Amino acid sequence: MSILKVENLTKRYPGVVALDQVSFEIEPGEIRGLIGENGAGKSTIIKSIAGAISFDEGKLIIDGREYTSIAPTEAIKQGISVIYQEFNLIPSMTVAENIFLGERIGSKFKVDFKEMNRKAREIFDRFGVEIDTTAPVGSLSTAQMQLVEIAKAISKDVKVLFMDEPSASLSVSETKVMFEIVRALKKDGLAIVYVSHRLEELFEICDSVTVMRDGHTIETRKIEDLDRHTLIKLMVGRELNETYPERIPVSDEVVLELKNVYGNGDVGIDLKLHRGEILGLGGLVGCGRTELAKMIYGAVPIERGEMLLFGEPVRLSSPADAIEKGIGLIPEDRKTEGVFIDFPIDWNVVVQCLRKISKNSVVDTGKMDEISKRYIGEMKIATPSPHQLVKNLSGGNQQKVVVAKVLATHTKVIIFDEPTRGIDVGAKQEIYRLMNDLTKQGISILMISSDMEELLGMSDRIVVLNEGAIAGEIEKAEFSQIAVMELASSN
Amino acid sequence: MENKKKFDIGKLISDNVAWFVLLILVVFFGIFSENFFSFRNIMNLLSQNAYLLIAATGITFVMMSSGMDLSVGYVMSTIGIVGAKLLMDAGLPTLVVIPIMILLTIAIELLNTFLSIKLNLTLLVVTIATMTIFQGATYIISESKTINNLPDSFKFLGQKYLFNSIPIAVIIMVVLFLIMSFVLNKTYFGRYVYALGGNPEAARLAGININKMRYMIAVIEGLFIGIAVVLLIGRLGSAVSTVGVGTEFSVMTGIFLGGVSIRGGEGKLSGVFAGILCIALLTNGMQLAGINIYYQYVVRGLILLAAIGYDVYQLNRRNNMKKKKLEEAREAKRS
Repeated sequence: MSILKVENLTKRYPGVVALDQVSFEIEPGEIRGLIGENGAGKSTIIKSIAGAISFDEGKLIIDGREYTSIAPTEAIKQGISVIYQEFNLIPSMTVAENIFLGERIGSKFKVDFKEMNRKAREIFDRFGVEIDTTAPVGSLSTAQMQLVEIAKAISKDVKVLFMDEPSASLSVSETKVMFEIVRALKKDGLAIVYVSHRLEELFEICDSVTVMRDGHTIETRKIEDLDRHTLIKLMVGRELNETYPERIPVSDEVVLELKNVYGNGDVGIDLKLHRGEILGLGGLVGCGRTELAKMIYGAVPIERGEMLLFGEPVRLSSPADAIEKGIGLIPEDRKTEGVFIDFPIDWNVVVQCLRKISKNSVVDTGKMDEISKRYIGEMKIATPSPHQLVKNLSGGNQQKVVVAKVLATHTKVIIFDEPTRGIDVGAKQEIYRLMNDLTKQGISILMISSDMEELLGMSDRIVVLNEGAIAGEIEKAEFSQIAVMELASSN
Repeated sequence: MENKKKFDIGKLISDNVAWFVLLILVVFFGIFSENFFSFRNIMNLLSQNAYLLIAATGITFVMMSSGMDLSVGYVMSTIGIVGAKLLMDAGLPTLVVIPIMILLTIAIELLNTFLSIKLNLTLLVVTIATMTIFQGATYIISESKTINNLPDSFKFLGQKYLFNSIPIAVIIMVVLFLIMSFVLNKTYFGRYVYALGGNPEAARLAGININKMRYMIAVIEGLFIGIAVVLLIGRLGSAVSTVGVGTEFSVMTGIFLGGVSIRGGEGKLSGVFAGILCIALLTNGMQLAGINIYYQYVVRGLILLAAIGYDVYQLNRRNNMKKKKLEEAREAKRS
């Protein structure tokens, strides 16, 4: 008999179906791996089951009880417990207090710290873990915090335990300790859903694996029937049907070079970007790509190592510096970081070069008009007038405005962070063509993309990051979904 | 576990900044003012500032749960004026007026919180508006006049001494402070206040009713501010439309100085006690030294800035250290 059954669960967000008829079931004493690419819906399904977010259709059957919606307190009562990827701890409170947060031990009003600490120690003792239960959580190491999260999750009467990337912040030996705990819990008859992008871990600990892709459950298989290669194929098995512009050979002139760069969580990054090249940066969420982009753009300082622009060492102290030197950024979140959405197109296009088109600090509106009209024409931004507010444009046209803004400052290197996120299919093609045209003009592009198809289709070369370091580089001839995934999920 | 009981003077100071500042101030005033250490002077100082400490105790609950209430000063003024009017114009007895004043304050604080929850705005933004409303209200109700000669029965709490030596206000303050220390440190309600300030989402997921908590915190704040007003105008023997003005900033400065984090969820009531006494001593000292009132504002503003700045500096340092550790771990794994 299954302890948890998920039936046709669907969750929609405006414009996207995050979960589409997701179904799976799990039995007591089973460790189930849950796996999928970025955005496959792993975290969303967990949050839906735990009641942290509501779902639109489908039902949950927990130990025979049916639910078409569930509140967090009800989920806890029914024995659903989640260790989220982000810690849900309160730094100023002690380990024991965090473990039993929301529960009343002893009397109804007064906290029985003694009893609380005793119970907390009992949990840790069972697994042979030594943590001072009276220490504030804020003083612990990340690994210890993870153990507190586990203790917190199993302190209640748990039937199903979800663990969302629990090993992400643990070292190898710490992960071993955690595995011991997970195995002990399995013996107690808990059902455990284990989310990880480290495939080796799944083979070490899971009984079965459910693969998700684009909000669907693709397949559930016993671990014996799987190998690493099959698993990756199931994860990435998407049809590649989009067409991409023909790329022309890239010159070998190096425009941007990073030599052994450290900072912002990244370590030892070596990178070369050539003139007219589109260099794709692949990797999973949290692998350090956006962090790297921020350093190149001067938003976060480089701690160690060297950055060369056209062979000259540069030290950027701010984004203004980067813009001055010809580096532009198309941010991931277009609406909040890319454009001033309540302002007109012309204003947005010239906002980074206002000083250049001003005389005695007064903006020359004639020049502003001229520049914005030129870009509206060149990029085919669909608008009745340059004075149209950006919020009235479609996603694709908004993105073009961001590109125009960057180009207006005579940029040589553009970082595209998720160039087509939230842009509909037709407009995607236009953005791709635009990127292709830019490189023909000699502009170099560093493209961060979680869209596997786009990454493979647009890049001339792909560098994959994994845990803040470069995991490997793939040449165009060797491009494949599997090759990228192998590098991104190795450990 | 490694030996962490090692004596660390730097940590001791950074955990108890307010107490060290207080120590320095006490030594300073002890040297430069001859009667400073007399029992009478100390009792005087405490009784003058009892209302401030009581208000701070209630407001600490609000700031700990990461809200900021700017309306406190004008709410106090309004309640003071209303109380004085009820005593003098309506002729109601003290025993009726005091509960009315306190209940009215609670109602106002509940309203602030209600608006904050329903409009989905921070308490700070809501109270910028209500502060202005009560600023108007206090002038309208008082007609900009001072109400003098409050009855002796009302002045009793603010002015009388027990055994001819200990001010009653100080006793009330100490008792309330001890009760609330207990509540904050030892009860579930108190611990949930920390949880709410430290990580509201974690609190919600743990099944804590966040809105109910916020209303309960509003009741506590109202209760304490109400009591503070009763003691304040009782001690003065009169009420004017500006009687409470500035209390919110004095209290906030003291609370930040006392180690309560601007992001909430961190701090101790004992630290707040020391922080408020620092502010009281400084104000008192500057007055004694004959420093122009306008310069006093400048000094107080600088202290507020320093207290918040120190808090944020520590947060940034912690974040940077975390990033460093992540890099080290990743580097170790790489090689």
